[in-house]
Formats: sequence, structure tokens, C-alpha cells
Amino acid sequence: MREEATFIVSAAITIFLTGCIIIFHDLSSGFREFLAALTGHHWLSVSLIIIVLFMLFSGFLVGSMGARKILRVYDTRLWTTALVAVTLIMTLGILVELAARFLAD
Amino acid sequence: MIIGGIALVYVDWIGHALIAIISLLVMVHALTTGAMLRGRIKRSSGNLFKLHRKSGIYFGAFILGSFIYGLWIRLEHGEAILSSIHGKLGVAILLIAILQVLPSLILKNRARYRELHRIMGYSLASILIIDAAWGLYNGVTAGIKTLVLIHSISGGLAALVMVWIILEIRYPVDRSLARARLASYLAVFFVTAGCWMAGGYNYLTVYGSQVKPVILAGLYPWAHEIIMEAKEHIFVFLPIITFALSISLYTLDKDTFLGNANSRHALTIVACLALFMVLLMFLMGAIISSAGNTGMEA
Repeated sequence: MREEATFIVSAAITIFLTGCIIIFHDLSSGFREFLAALTGHHWLSVSLIIIVLFMLFSGFLVGSMGARKILRVYDTRLWTTALVAVTLIMTLGILVELAARFLAD
Repeated sequence: MIIGGIALVYVDWIGHALIAIISLLVMVHALTTGAMLRGRIKRSSGNLFKLHRKSGIYFGAFILGSFIYGLWIRLEHGEAILSSIHGKLGVAILLIAILQVLPSLILKNRARYRELHRIMGYSLASILIIDAAWGLYNGVTAGIKTLVLIHSISGGLAALVMVWIILEIRYPVDRSLARARLASYLAVFFVTAGCWMAGGYNYLTVYGSQVKPVILAGLYPWAHEIIMEAKEHIFVFLPIITFALSISLYTLDKDTFLGNANSRHALTIVACLALFMVLLMFLMGAIISSAGNTGMEA
């Protein structure tokens, strides 16, 4: 279960970073405008960023045994739980942030 | 009794949809027990033939109930019956369901009929998913938009394929890994081409200019401000989870797949997460479409 766990780790890290980018771009109009300027629409930029991040982390982890060892990539239970937790927390985080902004307005 | 109870509570398309959803669940059970009987996935304990026959009969009953309910709603609203594609697909589903259930109950020697029964069973599942997705958008949007329809049907098919992957991993036999891989490639295709690209194109070209202003001016502006804003971004997690699952299955060797329960458990959890995300997107999409429809009526 070496290689397949690598992509689960990569997905978990990518979703965590993209979730942070999404929340930050909702809070900062400057960052949102920067993302919009990148491709013409902020959603397109986020879509591109998530693909690039996933490819970068996957490539890095597949190529580096040291990184796999440090991140305990072989612990599938840990990383599957991490993927589920990160996805649910980020989903909830985005919903809460948008709901709070709507109520504040 | 279940159909009667739903009919008493809901006298509109929601009741029809509820019965269809129950039919889908019973169908998954019938498909699972059928695949176990055939040896395509690992057998569980109990009398599988009895279970398969029972779920087949229940499935037929729910399909018949859903069909009659649909006809009743159309007549209640004074609309022409069986004129839409959704209605015609409903007739096809009912006919296939009858052809599935009746010969199985009447024929004593089912050996020759078995292959046809299997092909019709899998065809029925695909047609039912397409018709259910079509019907959902018929119910929540006044006029069907092709891109939204493709987006919705792809989501429905992706959910079905995810269930397939989960079953192959949970009940492994010799050829399960090959089939799970094939299912995961289909999942990537439906999620990327159907949901991401078609949905994204619709969001960038149509939604912002036509639907968003209607929702914001309507009774439920939160449907855009919270649900749509969240959906457009949360959605991008789904293709990554699906890619990770597909590549993981591709790189996994057969011995590890069959011999390592931990690996299978991990992959099942990832597939369940992907299925949850698809269903969440479906729910959010239905809320947004409903708010858009209400806004247009207001």
C-alpha cells in the first residue's frame, strides 16, 4: 500500500491548502481580485490551483522517499482519516464563513 | 403502505421523487445480491437467492407505484401524460422491471434466462439513474437547460459508479480489482467532464447573468449567497478525491488488494467520502434550482 497511499496524502494536503485559499479569498477582496486577474474568473483560478497543487504534491511524494518517510505515508489509516477530516472541516469551514458573512450583511 | 403514506403526505412531485429514491435504494440491494449470486463479488451469509427475489419484487412494486404516482400528478395538473422524455423513460423502466420480475417468478428453469436477466438488470439501473436525475430537474426547474441536465445526470451516474466501486472493494473476488479500476475511470470521467466542465461552463456563462440575479431578487437570496458560493468551491474537492481513488486503484496490485484488509478499508473510506460529496452537491444543486424557480415565479 505504498503508492496508492501517496495519492491519498497528496489529496489531503491539496484539499487543506485549497480550502485555506478559498476561505482567504472570501475574506480578502484584494486576494479575490488577484485570483480573478489570473485567469479572468476567481473560480477558474481556484480550479487551476487545485489541479497544479495535486500534481505537484503527487510528483514530489512519488519522487521523494525521504518525504514519504517523514510524512508516514505508509500509515494508510492515518491518512485516510486525515483526508476525510480535512475535507469535512474545510467544507464546514467554507459554509460557516459564508453564513457568517451573509448574516453580518 | 409506504407508497400510500407518501401519497397522503405529498401530493406533488416530491412524493414521486421520494418513491423513486426508495426504488433506487432497493435497486442497489437487488444489484448487490444479484452480483453475489453470480459470484462477481464475494458472497455474504444468508439465503442470497431469497433476498435477491424479495428485493426484486419490492423494486418492481416501487417502480409501479412511482409510475402510477407520476401519472396521477400529471392528471391532477391537467397535463398531457407520457409526452415528455422523462415519462417515456418511465414506461421503458416499468416494462423492463416487469420483464425482470415476472419470468423470474414463473419460470422453473431459469438457466437460459439468466444472462438476459443480468443484462436487463444493469441496463435498468443505468436508465433509472438517468430518468431520476432528469425527473429531479424537471421538478425543480421550470425549463430544462441542456448543460444543467448533463451536469445533473453525470452526478447521478457518478454516484452509481461510486456505489459500484464500494461494492467491489467490500466484497472482493478475483476480478474485483479490474472492475473497480474500470468503475473509477468512469467516475473520473463523469465527475470531470460531466460535473466539472459542463457545470463550470454553465456557471461561468449562464448562471451569473441569468439565474443569480433572479435568486438574489427572490425570497431566498441565501440560496446564492451561502449555498451556491459554497457549492462552487467545495465542488473542486470532489475531482481530487476521485482522482486519488482512481490512481490508488490503478497502482494497487491484485495480491495486496485481495490480501490486505487495511488497504481495502482505506479505499472504501475514500470511495464513501466521494459518494458523500456527490450527494451533498446534488442536494445543494436542488436547493439552488428550487430557489431560482421560486424567484422566477415571484
